[in-house]
Amino acid sequence: MNRQQEYVLRTIEERDIRFVRLWFTDILGTLKSVAVAPAELEQAFTEGIGIDGSVIEGFTRVYEADMVVQPDADSFQVLPWRERSARMFCDIRMPDGTPAPTDSRHILRRALDAASEEGFTFYTHPEIEFYLFKEPYDRTVGPQPVDQAGYFDHVARGDGHDFRRAAIDTLEQMGISVEFSHHEGGPGQQEIDLRYADALSMADNIMTFRTVVREVALQENAFASFMPKPLAAHPGSAMHTHMSLFEGDSNAFYEPGAPYELSQTGRRFMAGVLAHSREICAVTNQWVNSYKRMWGGGEAPAYVCWGHNNRSALARVPMYSIGKGHSRRIEVRSIDSACNPYLTYAVLLASGLRGIREGYELPPEAEDDVWALTDAERRALGIDPLPQSLGEAVAVMEESDLVAEVLGEQVFDFYLRNKWQEWGEYRSQVTQFELDRYLLHL
Amino acid sequence: MTVDPAGARARHGRGQPGETPAGGELARAGFASTARAAALLTEVLDRLPAATDASALVADLATVADPDAALLTLVRLLDPRSSGASGEATAAATVPVVAAGGEPRRRLLTLLGGSVALGEHLLRHPEHLADVAAGAPPDPDAVVEAVRGLHGREGAETLRVAYRGQLARIATADLTDADPLAIMPQVGSWLADLAGAALEGALLLARAETEGEQTCALAVVGMGKTGGRELNYLSDVDVIFLAAPREGADESEAMAVATRLASAVMRICSQPTAEGALWQVDAALRPEGRHGPLVRTLRAHREYYERWAQTWEFQALLKARHVAGDAAVTQEWLEIVQPMVWSASAREDFVVDVQAMRRRVEQHVKPAEVDRQLKLGPGGLRDIEFSVQLLQLVHGRADESLRSRTTLEALAALTAGGYVGRDDLKVLDEAYRLLRCLEHRVQLHRLRRTHLMPTSTPELRRLGRSLGERGEADRAVLQRWRAVQRDVRRLHERLFYRPLLTAVARLSTDEARLTPEAARERLAALGFRDPAGAMRHLGALTEGVSRRATIQRHLLPVMLAWFADGADPDAGLLAFRQISDALGSTHWYLGMLRDEGSAAQRLARVLSSSRYAVDLLLRAPESVSLLGDPAGLVPPERDALLSRMAAAASRQTTVEDAFQAVRAVRARELVRTVLGDLVGDWDGEQVRGALTDVTDACLTSALDIARSAVLERRGEEAATAMLVVGMGRLGGRELGYASDADVMYVHDPLPGADPERAAAQAAEIVAELRKGLSGNGPDPTLELDADLRPEGRSGPLVRSLDSYRTYYARWSAGWESQALLRARPVAGDDGLAERFLETIRPLRWPAGGIPDQTVREIRRLKARMESERLPRGADPRTHLKLGLGGLSDVEWVLQLLQLQHADAHPGLRTTSTTQGLAAAVAAGLLAADDAEVLGSAWRLASQIRDAGVVWRGRPVDSVPSGLRDAEGLSRIMGRPPGRGAALADDWRRAGRHARSVVERLLYGDAPPRPGARAEPAQRGPGRSRPGRAAGFRGVDPAGPPRSADRFPRTPPQGRT
Repeated sequence: MNRQQEYVLRTIEERDIRFVRLWFTDILGTLKSVAVAPAELEQAFTEGIGIDGSVIEGFTRVYEADMVVQPDADSFQVLPWRERSARMFCDIRMPDGTPAPTDSRHILRRALDAASEEGFTFYTHPEIEFYLFKEPYDRTVGPQPVDQAGYFDHVARGDGHDFRRAAIDTLEQMGISVEFSHHEGGPGQQEIDLRYADALSMADNIMTFRTVVREVALQENAFASFMPKPLAAHPGSAMHTHMSLFEGDSNAFYEPGAPYELSQTGRRFMAGVLAHSREICAVTNQWVNSYKRMWGGGEAPAYVCWGHNNRSALARVPMYSIGKGHSRRIEVRSIDSACNPYLTYAVLLASGLRGIREGYELPPEAEDDVWALTDAERRALGIDPLPQSLGEAVAVMEESDLVAEVLGEQVFDFYLRNKWQEWGEYRSQVTQFELDRYLLHL
Repeated sequence: MTVDPAGARARHGRGQPGETPAGGELARAGFASTARAAALLTEVLDRLPAATDASALVADLATVADPDAALLTLVRLLDPRSSGASGEATAAATVPVVAAGGEPRRRLLTLLGGSVALGEHLLRHPEHLADVAAGAPPDPDAVVEAVRGLHGREGAETLRVAYRGQLARIATADLTDADPLAIMPQVGSWLADLAGAALEGALLLARAETEGEQTCALAVVGMGKTGGRELNYLSDVDVIFLAAPREGADESEAMAVATRLASAVMRICSQPTAEGALWQVDAALRPEGRHGPLVRTLRAHREYYERWAQTWEFQALLKARHVAGDAAVTQEWLEIVQPMVWSASAREDFVVDVQAMRRRVEQHVKPAEVDRQLKLGPGGLRDIEFSVQLLQLVHGRADESLRSRTTLEALAALTAGGYVGRDDLKVLDEAYRLLRCLEHRVQLHRLRRTHLMPTSTPELRRLGRSLGERGEADRAVLQRWRAVQRDVRRLHERLFYRPLLTAVARLSTDEARLTPEAARERLAALGFRDPAGAMRHLGALTEGVSRRATIQRHLLPVMLAWFADGADPDAGLLAFRQISDALGSTHWYLGMLRDEGSAAQRLARVLSSSRYAVDLLLRAPESVSLLGDPAGLVPPERDALLSRMAAAASRQTTVEDAFQAVRAVRARELVRTVLGDLVGDWDGEQVRGALTDVTDACLTSALDIARSAVLERRGEEAATAMLVVGMGRLGGRELGYASDADVMYVHDPLPGADPERAAAQAAEIVAELRKGLSGNGPDPTLELDADLRPEGRSGPLVRSLDSYRTYYARWSAGWESQALLRARPVAGDDGLAERFLETIRPLRWPAGGIPDQTVREIRRLKARMESERLPRGADPRTHLKLGLGGLSDVEWVLQLLQLQHADAHPGLRTTSTTQGLAAAVAAGLLAADDAEVLGSAWRLASQIRDAGVVWRGRPVDSVPSGLRDAEGLSRIMGRPPGRGAALADDWRRAGRHARSVVERLLYGDAPPRPGARAEPAQRGPGRSRPGRAAGFRGVDPAGPPRSADRFPRTPPQGRT
């Protein structure tokens, strides 16, 4: 038992915590939680808590069901919205103590280790969008946004305003710094930006963030949804993420005097992200609904290209102030808010690193709104579309050695099967669209 | 005082004490070039008072390492025109010392002869000359005092000068000591203290130039040799910087200041100035290494070491010592980290980490330097230091007396505690001292950072003379070094393993012995999972006074080292005990292990990596002799095997014994094969070929025995010709260790013989053959599987050739033609073999290929089998034979091509999978990269299956999920240690790649041959294979994906 673990046990005693929630994430990015009484915690630290992995999406094959969750004492946090409860994130291990290949955190950690072998630390900074709808949700009416405001609108006494303040307070209480928040383009749509952190902490933060936002929304008599495209007529919810690599204390993307002050490493990283964006799409945009956001217009980056101030590009070199080397970064805009952040950051990092390692050339910058171009123009410019649907994305991923390497063969296989299944079930639907258009006419 | 040139001239005339000695005297004194020496000496004497005794001066020069260099520097010191600080001042400081003679002069000359670099220093800084002559003891604090109140460039230069002044004192004390080996540890600690003082001085200077310096306390912790107070003359100085905010200061601000201070310290020490540089300050041992922040708070340190630190980092902390700055900060830090150091050996991964660390120590030597390295490589300085530290970590947890930072002290403490034998201590202690002395003196000459023995004679000569050798000093020093290398090469044996035997030995000595408790700890640290069991085996092996026990006591330390390097050390030791028990005192056995070089090492590797081999060896222990036989691990020719088996059988009187004899030969060949596989560098193809050859020979001999036995019993003349046809992997000459032999039996009545009688004879012969090969007996059985015969299990075991003809003409199913592709006669009548092959030719290589209908049927059958044949619960992604991309997948692709094209392309008429794939490429039927993907998956699957048998003694269907098993397989496959965990993923990848080729070729995503005959399974017109990952490029966004009909696909059974 190390000191941090002792500290956790002491805090539990002092603050009279009754329940400790052990959090972990399944392969599809759903947060799972086991509550343990404080008395069991000591054992949880030393030996872990056995769980039946077969009930968790993607964790094991049935005959290898036993797994162990081991709490990470450094992630201990008292939950502000629950009386006398606290949480810790867990690593998943096999009974023999080796990391479970199906643990999302382990997959990201392995990718980060590969980066650190080349001397890089990976930092991310996401802008998370989501919708607030009125509670309760009535299926017959559809989701009702809490307001009708638009981008950056200040809504006097708007529920969203109160909500954001409450959410940010709670996040800060949980040690997650918020950079920025505002009303987004759609009615009831919010954006909260988290302050940059290393990718593993950030992925933990994102999981916490989703829970906090849901909890706070409920207190405000609303519910929050991270669904990529809940309203057909309004913009979807993205999770644009700013990324940078550091070598020790210096930003490896920064080179004074280079175009946009972006170093060769930065250009190659971005080239890697672009070159592999199609095959990692089934991870960064993992749901049937993700492709409704992607192809539903608005500012969704459906084409593989990059730009400086081009909001239709998949990757962007954001505005910068001359000489502020620390903040040089690239922004990847394809990711949506319902991804598994661990896997998403792992595949993006691996794509970028491959770009660096193999010296990919960055294609020329796209200066036009790529949505406004014709197919022929895009083809002439060498701009590929991202997959049209989950089915296509999975078919492309199936051919990807990069993704297989990052996820590990076992998770790769599970993931493909799970996504084929989702696509199959979706295809067997008869949708409202079909009824409206065909039923009376055919 | 200046030298009076007139006086010098006058002296010349006198021919008195100042007269130049003769050439012979100079040569005896050790000058390389006497003429040049004489000239220089004249110049020296010219500048000295007339009364100076030239012979005494020469005698003094004769004692130094390099008289020529010493004399040359002396001339320059005496010459007022020399460059340097002030020629005159230099000469003035030098003359009295040299003129007076005695100890002071000897000291000066010794330094000049041992270090050209420090001679140069005296030229520039004559103020240090008096210290050298006086033999002033080193005073490191003087360096700090020298820079107090200074700053900037002046400070940095003063620091360097003061440092070198002290370095000259240390070097003088070192070089003038009569026993260099004895004073070595003292020199190391002086040098470490001096480095500490220089860092302290640098910190003073850094504070003088850094704004806000008062906000933080900074401490410098010495690591590595600096921390251990065993530094050498020139190497990087390893440190860790610690910082704490002073009271009232803001923490983040204080840390920013501390970082600036630390960088300044590093820069001040390493930056070149007019006075050169000191050395590089290396802070890479800090948390997160080079990528981590240079300075962290103590809290951050604690977090790091508790959560992230790796075993080697704790080992590094073993040496940590305060050297400069705020001692209280270091103290607080040491209290945090030291308990962790001493519990590091309880960490889960300790054993694995240590093994990896040991491998790293032994690698990393450039091949060109391997013969000259003092520091790196097996038996080098680093190896000694590492091994001592490892023992400290293992035993220091319980025994606090071992917690020294210094290698030699730790070694002595280990000996006092009985952890290392006393004789071994003596050897290692001397070896270490000598290696360090060599390293010191090599570095001292020019103050260069090097760890290589010189190669040129003058350099070696100087090195030898500096260690007191005279005469042929160059050869003498090499000899001493080589002797030490021999001793140290067995370092691990001496340090780690030999003491283990004292723990179990009953022989009484006064020497302190390793306690059983400590022995168990050590065995565990070396990778034995059952230390108590290992102790028992060691006890049993070394008990008593027999010759065997004596030899084994001698052998075991080194054998243990080899077991510990194997995948299963416990099993290795146990098997060694069993084999030793079985072979007892057989004279050749012990002799072979003792005398025949690598035989013992090979045996250790075999025993600790293969249960299959151990089982075979225990059945026939005398097969161990193959390891000692130079020809033992060469696969024998097929004919040689046949005659050996025939001869063995012919010596027997009964049929049973004859079969037994054949089986015994086979068992010995199996041992040879597995030994060749494990230690004889046979590749997979050789192993499979050897296994097939021995099976062929065995069947041939057994058929002969069975035939004569049956004929004799029946009292009949032979009425029929017999043939055994190999099918499957036997037919393909691709047998693995666990493969059954697939066969079919054919007979053909001789002309005029009674068909009834012929059939009866044939049936009886086959029955006899099967009984003989698979019945009870001490040697492994050969399982014969005849299920591929016509009508399968319900058909007669043996048929006449005519019956085969009839059957194939009327009834043959598609899959039977496919099975016949691998039919190869292995034993029996040659003429019948030819007739049989002729019979099956049109079936397996049909003229014009096979009709589309048949292709469709084969494909469908394959698809159905995929869902049916896989055992319950097996995962298709991992099953090596029937899984996706597995053996069966690859073979089906090839077999379909063979049925279609073997008629047109004779190259395809082979029973071998690998040759078939190559032939298909040559015939243009298969793309070369597809064949490569298929072939490597097939080879990998075969290799894993074979390795599975070798490791566990029984077959595996997939890569075992247990890490230990996977590691064992992986090592047998010749992969480097530690790659076991990746084996399962490697197979899944190979299988996945192969599967995508199989799906395309077998199920017809694209035609396997461009533009040939119509391809019924081809869907959609003219579709070629889409580029990798380019699946949907250029698809009209409005349209459905082209391959929409491909997903979702029904998963084969077993997928969940």
